[in-house]
Amino acid sequence: MNYIKLLNFELSRFIKIYFVLIIITIISQLISTYSVAKNYMNQFNLAVYRDGISIEKYVEQFGQVSLMDLQHSGWFNLPIVIAAVTLLLYCFFIWYRDWLGKNTFIYRLLMLPTARINIYLSKATAIFLMVLGLVALQVILLLIEGKIFKWMVPANLRHDYSIMEYLANTVGDLYLGVLIPMNFIQFLIHYGIGFMFVFVLFTSILFERCFKWKGIIFGVVYALVSMSIFFIPFILEIIFAKRYLYPMELFVVEIVLGLIVTAMSIWIAHYLLNRKITV
Amino acid sequence: MIEVKNVTKKYGRKKVLQGVSFTANKGEITCLIGVNGVGKTTILNGIMNLTPMTSGEILIDGEKLTKESYEKIAFIPDAITMLPHMKIAEAIQFMKDFYNSWNDERAEELLGFFRLKKEERISSLSKGNVAKVNLLLGLALDVDYLLMDEPFSGIDIFSREQIADVFTSHLVEDRGVVITTHEINDIEHLIDKVVLLDDGTIVREFHTEEMREMEGKSVVDVMREVYRG
Repeated sequence: MNYIKLLNFELSRFIKIYFVLIIITIISQLISTYSVAKNYMNQFNLAVYRDGISIEKYVEQFGQVSLMDLQHSGWFNLPIVIAAVTLLLYCFFIWYRDWLGKNTFIYRLLMLPTARINIYLSKATAIFLMVLGLVALQVILLLIEGKIFKWMVPANLRHDYSIMEYLANTVGDLYLGVLIPMNFIQFLIHYGIGFMFVFVLFTSILFERCFKWKGIIFGVVYALVSMSIFFIPFILEIIFAKRYLYPMELFVVEIVLGLIVTAMSIWIAHYLLNRKITV
Repeated sequence: MIEVKNVTKKYGRKKVLQGVSFTANKGEITCLIGVNGVGKTTILNGIMNLTPMTSGEILIDGEKLTKESYEKIAFIPDAITMLPHMKIAEAIQFMKDFYNSWNDERAEELLGFFRLKKEERISSLSKGNVAKVNLLLGLALDVDYLLMDEPFSGIDIFSREQIADVFTSHLVEDRGVVITTHEINDIEHLIDKVVLLDDGTIVREFHTEEMREMEGKSVVDVMREVYRG
């Protein structure tokens, strides 16, 4: 119960910045969609009405416009990068703001009549929910952006993708391909690694908070050890230049190793919060 | 009873506390006195498990501190412990949400006692009023023990008087209070027991009443003896 209260509290502390991210994403991507559709139609009108090219010829030469064209737009990708960087920085800020400056809210958090690991878990969950919230927003925006194309571009000049078709075409894309996986297994891989990384990062931060300068070294070493454990199968493949596992076996091994690293991070955080933390 | 048993704290090679032992009983005001940097705050942090001690043991009513202990012991540090942008009402709500021992009636009484307004933001308060909010958040808990770190530090005389009045009121009655200070004048007449610290060790421990009766000395007299030689 206290975990839920803490989670609610953590979310409320970030809500203003989060809304700013949402608004930036919505405005920027809608501008991007409008401008891509508008530019396409301007070029089309010039070619057809000024230069006298037929519609079929134009489509043959320049292709139809689709959601795929958005991927090359800075306005479309920029908010994704801003949100990712903000949330990454927030992974540090979510801890350090409780210690640094005049604010000593960490006293209050550590003195709550609840297991201290709840502080850690609520902060991590807040990050996960905010990430997943932005991903959900992106999916909704893609649907809206598809509608905008339909309003602005005649059917014979555009290629309509369903969300699944669209995602299938963005698998290799640096931003959307990572952000919105094609299937559940890819979702597990992308977000499993991401969330495991958050746990490792949080535990490394706690090392620093517990042991100060020495803690930075402990934290870095811990992060390297965790990553080494997780990537052991790949490291072995590189060292021995041989593939030992089939893709499905590798997937299962990686899930197990990911769970081990996550459990280890939580257990060490539990120990540090109860035995070593200092205000 | 709070029992601090042979506690040592090292920061690197520097020993901040060396074999410190004392007890603080319910219904008594125990005062840890010493110059700045002598380890008073470290002891309170250690009791609340906010700083790990290098060795020794700290017990609350015979048991080690657990998460449940925070329902029966409250710490009032010498700093803002709520988010500065919070209103006093929000800080109160936060405490109410998490502590079963939160006493709403007492919180209201304390708001009146300190003349604080619920809608004021903590960031807009004077140092004296921040200290009062800290006291309110600690005193409104129905706890057996209260730890207060330098409650009179850096605040105006009127706030000091108001805070000193708390110690003679029913608000701390029957509770065990451990208070750290290097400014003894405001509360000398209220203290039951004194623990004098110097260089990380206890140099003298006595009951004020006994000291007055047996040796005819006040707390300040004993402090002069100890610190001036």
